Amino acid sequence: MRRMAVFFSGPAGCVFLALIILGWSNFFLRAEEQFPILVYMLLVVFLGFVANLLHLDDSFRASVAGHERLWDLCLIIVMAALIWLFREDHYNLFLLGSIMAYSIAVLGLNVQLGYAGVINFSCASFFGIGSYTAALLMTRAGIPPLPGLVAGGVVAALIGCVLLLPVLRTSGHYAALVTMAFALLLRVFLDVSEWFGGPQGITVQPMSLFGLDFSRNIVFGETELSFYLKYDAAFLLLLCLAFSLVRRVERSWIGLALDAVRSDETASACFGVNIMRWKITAFTLGNFLSGTAGAMYAMMLAYISPANFTFADSLLFLSILLLGGIGNIRGVLLATVFVVLIPEKFQVIQEYRYLIYSALVLLMIVFRPMGLLPRRPRVYSGGRA
Amino acid sequence: MSALLSCTGLSMHFGGLTALDSLDLEVREGELLGLVGPNGSGKTTLFNVVTGIYRPSAGKIFLAGEDITAKPPQEVYRRGIARTFQRSRLCLDLSIFDNIMIGNHKTLQLGFIHNIIRRKAFRAEYESCMEKAAALLRALNPDLLDRVMKPVGDLNMMDRRRVEICRALVSRPRLLFLDEPSAGMTHDETRQLMDEIISMDTGGQKLSLVLIEHEMEVIRRITTRCVVLNFGRKLCEGDYESVIADPQVQEAYLGRELE
Repeated sequence: MRRMAVFFSGPAGCVFLALIILGWSNFFLRAEEQFPILVYMLLVVFLGFVANLLHLDDSFRASVAGHERLWDLCLIIVMAALIWLFREDHYNLFLLGSIMAYSIAVLGLNVQLGYAGVINFSCASFFGIGSYTAALLMTRAGIPPLPGLVAGGVVAALIGCVLLLPVLRTSGHYAALVTMAFALLLRVFLDVSEWFGGPQGITVQPMSLFGLDFSRNIVFGETELSFYLKYDAAFLLLLCLAFSLVRRVERSWIGLALDAVRSDETASACFGVNIMRWKITAFTLGNFLSGTAGAMYAMMLAYISPANFTFADSLLFLSILLLGGIGNIRGVLLATVFVVLIPEKFQVIQEYRYLIYSALVLLMIVFRPMGLLPRRPRVYSGGRA
Repeated sequence: MSALLSCTGLSMHFGGLTALDSLDLEVREGELLGLVGPNGSGKTTLFNVVTGIYRPSAGKIFLAGEDITAKPPQEVYRRGIARTFQRSRLCLDLSIFDNIMIGNHKTLQLGFIHNIIRRKAFRAEYESCMEKAAALLRALNPDLLDRVMKPVGDLNMMDRRRVEICRALVSRPRLLFLDEPSAGMTHDETRQLMDEIISMDTGGQKLSLVLIEHEMEVIRRITTRCVVLNFGRKLCEGDYESVIADPQVQEAYLGRELE
């Protein structure tokens, strides 16, 4: 028993865990009947329970913490392998793309709420601003997709700066209300504005890079690979960049300053921490990430409407963050997988999914207030991000 | 000795309440000044006004001849006043190192490029900061060195105070404000902590200190001069012996004997 615990706290733990994740995701995504899907979900709970019983969870934790670069590599390989395994399957590739898009947006929200403590109930709005910016610039102004992608992030960040004026003048619940009002206003604005496509929404041109059109299937003689493969590859790249950026932010004096602002503004100010500067930094960076993810997501969807970016979606982003563990970026990824996948696959709950999310968040707050993977104290150099 | 900090005619009103009433106060270079007075006499308010948390209603504050009246807390800290808080205000979920580094904020390089892209340079800076923090911890409690990356929330009250003092000292302040460091600690712990502070090597620089304390024994042992406040006004000042012998002080603390 002990030998096993020692074995799994070495590099073997990372590899083993990655294989389990790969295997489970593969079977779960392939399952279509409701009963096996339920079994796979219960299997996760069961495996977690067994690992806990055998004290293997500590070994895995040590393994991941001690072999960070290996673990990062494993996760990238798992994702790439999944994308390859479903290379002809539009639907599952689209799901994987959505998971990655949402992850990037929640990473942005994590910088705002998890680090700096700036509340944002309009994360989906900034996601939507990114989408609409890219869509409009490409259709109405003929801007190529790559600058459109960047513009999505930049415009979201800029509009965030305008919203910051009232947010920074208020605090606590009032700041939260300002962001809620913004989310609702934006929705109404998009609904009534003809130029923005109104309630019917607008079509978005596909991503294309160096003459490679992302909306065409890839044909190799007999086999035809889904065009979503290209989007998933692009999302994987974006997610790696976003993850690495957020982790470097956390492991730097910037992350320290953001945390200081969150935990005690007065005490931090007495030690020279510029509260405004860091709140602005966090809000802008977070919105930039959300907006970029939104822009890419819009290109993948090919068609967007105001109904994609509702207040309910903002709440969904928030619940992902709460579920995963505020401030823990790996927890964010894990929670996004569950929150996006389960209602898609387990259709029985589709109608009740907000009910189930709220129940889940409440249960989390009561029994595991720090989330599935609670945040660990900061390390400044745990292998290069 | 020249005046390091001087307050003239300092007043602070909260609505109808006068917390400080045209107070004149001087802290000399290298002095250990005790600030005493009954509850609500304006001691902590004085700290908050000088460090810029409150904007004074009237009066001027000079640090080494420079006007720092109504400067924001960040500016006051940059000019060399660091403090601790009566109710320990550490960031409990952050590590000991993180908390100390918050106090080191003015020397940290906060640029985006330095922090995010040039990680090698950042790591070098991190190493030197770690050494700085370790030197302070070694002086106060070497046991804390092993737990330097662990959350402050796990520490006992005395170690938390130590971390708070490290946080105040790491920036090498010219003037240190200690707001009731004995709160929540036993007599022995307080004595030990004060001894540690006094004997700390502050790098050749003479530390000036203002101490708020109810524990008169601490005041007696470590301060060179005392100021007694009551109702926001200075009741008297002088060395410990003369201050406690003062009839006004006795009256403020114990009340007047019935005729």
